[in-house]
Amino acid sequence: MSTGVPGIDEMLRGGLIPGRPYVVSGTTGSGKTTLAIQFLHQGVRHGERALLVAIDEPPAEIRENARNLGWDVGKIRILDVHPAAKAYSKRVSLVEVAAQRSVGSLREAGSSAKTEAMKQVTPEVSVQSLQLMLKQELQETSYSRVAIDSLTSLKKLSEAMEDTNTGVMSLLRFLSEAGVTSLIVTDLPDPTELEPEIFICRGEMRLHKRMVSTRMDRWITIEKFRGSAHDSMPRPMTITDAGIFVDSHKKIPKTSLKMLQAFTQYAR
Amino acid sequence: MIKEKIKTGVPGLDDMLDGGLIPGRSYVVSGTSGTGKTTVSMQFLLEGARTGERVLYISLDEPPNEIKQNMRSFGWDIGQVQVFDATPDILNYDKTPVRDVSTERRVVYFRDASDEMRITSERSPADMTINTIQEALKQEMKVRKYSRIVIDSLTSLRYFYIKTSEEDTTMMSFLRLLSDLGTTCLLTVQLPEISKPEVEAHMARGEIRLHKWFNGRGLMRGITVEKYRGSSHDHRLRMMKISSDGIAVKVALPEKEELPLEPLHTEAQVTSVRDVGETPREAETPPSTDQPKHHEGGGI
Repeated sequence: MSTGVPGIDEMLRGGLIPGRPYVVSGTTGSGKTTLAIQFLHQGVRHGERALLVAIDEPPAEIRENARNLGWDVGKIRILDVHPAAKAYSKRVSLVEVAAQRSVGSLREAGSSAKTEAMKQVTPEVSVQSLQLMLKQELQETSYSRVAIDSLTSLKKLSEAMEDTNTGVMSLLRFLSEAGVTSLIVTDLPDPTELEPEIFICRGEMRLHKRMVSTRMDRWITIEKFRGSAHDSMPRPMTITDAGIFVDSHKKIPKTSLKMLQAFTQYAR
Repeated sequence: MIKEKIKTGVPGLDDMLDGGLIPGRSYVVSGTSGTGKTTVSMQFLLEGARTGERVLYISLDEPPNEIKQNMRSFGWDIGQVQVFDATPDILNYDKTPVRDVSTERRVVYFRDASDEMRITSERSPADMTINTIQEALKQEMKVRKYSRIVIDSLTSLRYFYIKTSEEDTTMMSFLRLLSDLGTTCLLTVQLPEISKPEVEAHMARGEIRLHKWFNGRGLMRGITVEKYRGSSHDHRLRMMKISSDGIAVKVALPEKEELPLEPLHTEAQVTSVRDVGETPREAETPPSTDQPKHHEGGGI
């Protein structure tokens, strides 16, 4: 299954194995969201159904950003789990679980009470409630691609819940059983911590970036890909106004390689 | 007198282990994600199956259908390997779930395992715990005597099947059960990028660690024997390759340009400067202040 980025497909020796969960990790601004949208866009272009679970950014902003890249993302369905947006949302069916509370009370309340009302709503967004929301959504529509942007934020929102680890396991299992190919966006994992999504997922693509004087150097590595051979070299990546490009035949500059080396060394 | 050692099925690794593994004991295969732990374990089982042994793969991370599909890319026939699907079900968040611990999960040969993923029963998702797995294992050992068992991964067992408050003690009692079984076990452990030693590594009779790092040639892979009770072993880092035939260890020592710039932080580094005769527990020195990246963990 194509990721929507030809260079990455080549690195993966043909693309992703369908029906499995994958992780895209990287620091802020490394292009994770863009890659996720590109993955979904690739699906809808070929008549597949694709769903974006928007947690970090409100859907309107994501839409606008994607339009700037010249993509028609209108066909990508969005499950809006952005914590602040929920209370205002009219698409109750999608957010039922999370919106059970305080939609009414928010309308009655003055603007100063908004934060208070939001606080009441926020704890409802969790790994657990997302699974329930997705269950409802997948019963109505079958999707072949789902992207979650980002699991890191979702986990932060779920902190009150005791068992986030089993929740994440369950969520990914749920997506697999539904036969969905999923792209899970996460921050660069803390090297001293073992995040469950990193070892549950069937593959991890890591996005790197580095400033070289005034130029931004970007590259991508395949950290893991179960059931297939894959490119073991880091490859240069560019984000243009038409999306992400990876040249799977080029080597990255020596300076970047040194940094990557330093990073993996530090990581040990 | 130690019994004859058994082969790991990984070319080159037996030499590092001075002939192979001492049978009837539990060993850990550790490494960060994507280092080849599952592949090593499968080679270990296939080696047994080839000589007509009964071998069991307990799958906690990946559903058997995916393992089956993945191993096909190596061209291996894992049909003779028996598999117990212990992957966790989807959690049922309904308020009144019907919990059915005695599920229909049985040990089957890989060749009979479904090509589809097992779907969580809507009415009765299984409440798998470490006890369920322990019981299944005991039952299974009564029926068939396995000579090789792989648990892939012990990390999932720790993360998803044990209550946080009881992690270490439960894990220790589980490892005790394994040693009572008298079967040679390979337990995979996923490490974070900066490793904290866990109780399983202390309890196991040996630890084989898989490494990966980047240098000018791209992604490099290595293997070390971190500890091996009751046997001498290779204390050096060897290069390792994952090809379409599986994993093989290169006999020749790494070339200079293959090596990582800085030494990898491993327990082997700590033990290698000491006498081989010392017991591993003494070799596991507490972290000193000049080793901030080496954390002590798993204490009880």
